[in-house]
Amino acid sequence: MSVRVPAMSVLPPVRRDRVIVQLPQYFRKEAALHTKDEFHNKVKTACQEQRTGTVGFKISKVIVVGDLAVGKTCLINRFCKDAFDKNYKATIGVDFEMERFEVLGVPFSLQLWDTAGQERFKCIASTYYRGAQVVIIAFDVNDIASLGHVRQWLEDSLKENDPTSVQLFIVGTKKDLSSPAQYSQIEQDALKLAQEISAEYWAVSSLTGENVKEFFFRVASLAFETNVLAELEKSGSRQIGDVVRINSTSSNLYATPKKKQPNCCQ
Amino acid sequence: MNPFDCSGSPRHEEPADGRCPWSRFTSWLECVCVVTFDLELGQAIELLFPPDVKLTEKEKTTICYLSFPDSYSGCLGDTQFSFRLRQSVGRRASRSREDIYNRDAPVTLQKEVSHFCGYVYFRQVKDVTVKRGYFQKSLVLVSRLPYTHLFHSLLQIIAPEFFEKLEPCLETVCNEIDQWPSPVPGMTLNLPVMGVVLQVRIPSKTDKPGGSPVRQTSSENLLPFPTLLPTVHELDLFRSFQSVLIHLQMLWELTLLGEPVVVMAPSPTVSSETVLALVSSISPLKFCCDFRPYFTIHDPEFREFTTRTQAPPHVVLGVTNPFFIKTFQSWPHVVRLGEIRMTGDLPKQLKVKKLSKLKILDTKPGIYTSYKTFLHKDKILVKRLFKGFQRKRPSEVQSAILRRHLVELTQSFIIPLERYMASLMPLQRSVTPWKTPPQIRPFSQDEFMLTVDHTGPQLTSGLRGDWMGLYRKFFKSPNFDGWYRQRHREMSQKLESLHLEVVCDADLVGWTRDKSEVEIVDLVLKLREKLNKAHRQQLQLKDGVSDKLETFILSIIRTLPGDLQTELRTH
Repeated sequence: MSVRVPAMSVLPPVRRDRVIVQLPQYFRKEAALHTKDEFHNKVKTACQEQRTGTVGFKISKVIVVGDLAVGKTCLINRFCKDAFDKNYKATIGVDFEMERFEVLGVPFSLQLWDTAGQERFKCIASTYYRGAQVVIIAFDVNDIASLGHVRQWLEDSLKENDPTSVQLFIVGTKKDLSSPAQYSQIEQDALKLAQEISAEYWAVSSLTGENVKEFFFRVASLAFETNVLAELEKSGSRQIGDVVRINSTSSNLYATPKKKQPNCCQ
Repeated sequence: MNPFDCSGSPRHEEPADGRCPWSRFTSWLECVCVVTFDLELGQAIELLFPPDVKLTEKEKTTICYLSFPDSYSGCLGDTQFSFRLRQSVGRRASRSREDIYNRDAPVTLQKEVSHFCGYVYFRQVKDVTVKRGYFQKSLVLVSRLPYTHLFHSLLQIIAPEFFEKLEPCLETVCNEIDQWPSPVPGMTLNLPVMGVVLQVRIPSKTDKPGGSPVRQTSSENLLPFPTLLPTVHELDLFRSFQSVLIHLQMLWELTLLGEPVVVMAPSPTVSSETVLALVSSISPLKFCCDFRPYFTIHDPEFREFTTRTQAPPHVVLGVTNPFFIKTFQSWPHVVRLGEIRMTGDLPKQLKVKKLSKLKILDTKPGIYTSYKTFLHKDKILVKRLFKGFQRKRPSEVQSAILRRHLVELTQSFIIPLERYMASLMPLQRSVTPWKTPPQIRPFSQDEFMLTVDHTGPQLTSGLRGDWMGLYRKFFKSPNFDGWYRQRHREMSQKLESLHLEVVCDADLVGWTRDKSEVEIVDLVLKLREKLNKAHRQQLQLKDGVSDKLETFILSIIRTLPGDLQTELRTH
């Protein structure tokens, strides 16, 4: 589920290295949410014609779960802060990062929820999971047990959500610590699991940065695509934008919500 | 505490004077806990003193969660904050209403009956000797006493030392605390711990509110020289309210009326200090609603407080987790505090904003409410505080100005009520020995309102506005209910004391002369019951009243036939 941001809210401009113009590709064809080369045509057209409705003001909730010490915080920190600390402290409770993108010219935000992996956290964590659009389950590619626990994390995180509306990713971390032979072995298991639970599979290294940016871009793009398609579906036959276009040559949908909130200057 | 329960821990030596081990300790603290962040488990209690302290599993788990930040745990170094938790259901309520301490302490400093207060010292530092390279531990004092300043000062002394030397050090400290004199209202006490002596004065009910608490009274030769703590409980109000000074009137009213308030703060420290400051802002009036200086989603009351099926409860909650932004969207008053930068400037004052603005995730600091104050704000006070800040007036002085203003405001509000309440007391001459004590007249809101025109708050406060409206709303709040019950109880007890005194002065022997055996036995039983009740309630009686009545009872029993005498003595 996503949260509406009023049109007037003044956000800083999107960083130039967070601009997505093309659909980033999957990591492994066998385990991808979809294997198309480009964004859905409807989505591209909608973006071109600026008919994305409220998507541009939405924030998608992404939760990152997985066993303790698999590197959830390091993964987020590598992407959001471009930093890596080998001795990263255990996360107590939950931390948040907001990451803003521009996809096909439309602003789009991910709110990343970084959680603790400890036993004690599990019993309460489901409260946090509610309303997640994307669930990222991390495991350590050097620790087969952490892959084994993916199913449990999946079950916990879907308890509070509609399983059909959640986009699922499995991410193997610490790829740099694994030899090619070791890695390809665990990858077989991971791919198999990913197919079984309909998740997209990725392997990354937060230390070297390998695939980290690519991964989050893919997450943002797929979440965005889903949101726009849902928005188009919702408006159904009465295509969004149409009403405005009849009356206005600028066809700028973003301007319309302003009229509904005349007194919201801060 | 059950006297048969005092076996204590085997390692805790029995005090030389034959007291139960831990008996003095428990007059200050319920227990001391060390909570660690276990890399496998998460929050876990590592050490507990006294080891046999009676805490339920649920209480222990709650203490664990409340002892760590539940979000944005990145803060490095040492952090101090406070929490409050409800004791588990089914636990025997402590009989503190009849406790001598509670009788003599100011109502705002009475021992908690069904809650515990927690005082936390959390350390998170790099430590190469442990796995994952970080030391993450909290030392927590759990008590029923709301002595925020004393316990945080104590933590500042013992926590750094404990984190270096660990367990043995903590045991020594607990033994030292077990030597402390018990807290007695009005007394100045010396509390030795780790080579320093803390000198504190325990406030008393008879202290003048708003009076200066700092007074060096003891001339004893103490070595080492005692460290004087100016207060056991007072907070740095100026620091806590610095970004909301211009909304002080609103915050005071919201607290007075027991309105549901959520404080969203950047850290547990700011969250707990702000909530405690709010609650103390109506002192000397007791805040009778629930309040949680630091509330997390792990709290057992999470569902109770966040349910949408009924109106928000009368509680003040301090939170840090952004998760709550959504949860508390429908709450009537949300104070969202921002990060306070120490630039030497007074932080920007928060703005009042519409509640609908809270529906976004990265909301800005502000007070989100549609509340309109009944009284106008005191602009002179705000100006004075701003000026004082520019002139670098010390924070303690600023806090004292703020506290004085709030005390005067609360007193202006409450004095007319006190006066009216006192008028409900029966005349002293209507208390006679041969009748049951007269009844206190019922409280009539309308009758009270009639007094406000002439003897209302305008006599003592320059603040203008709708005082009547404020009273009307106050009558519906738990704070009024709590105040009324307390006053009513005190007045009933006063009547009871007066009654016992007139009974004592009456010619009881003369009365018995022409009475039947049954009537005399009835008198003995009634008097006994009255004395027992007086004893139980710690009634303050004139000297000799109790003794004289006891003697009378005994002498009257002696005039009765032998079998009745034995019967009455064994009863």
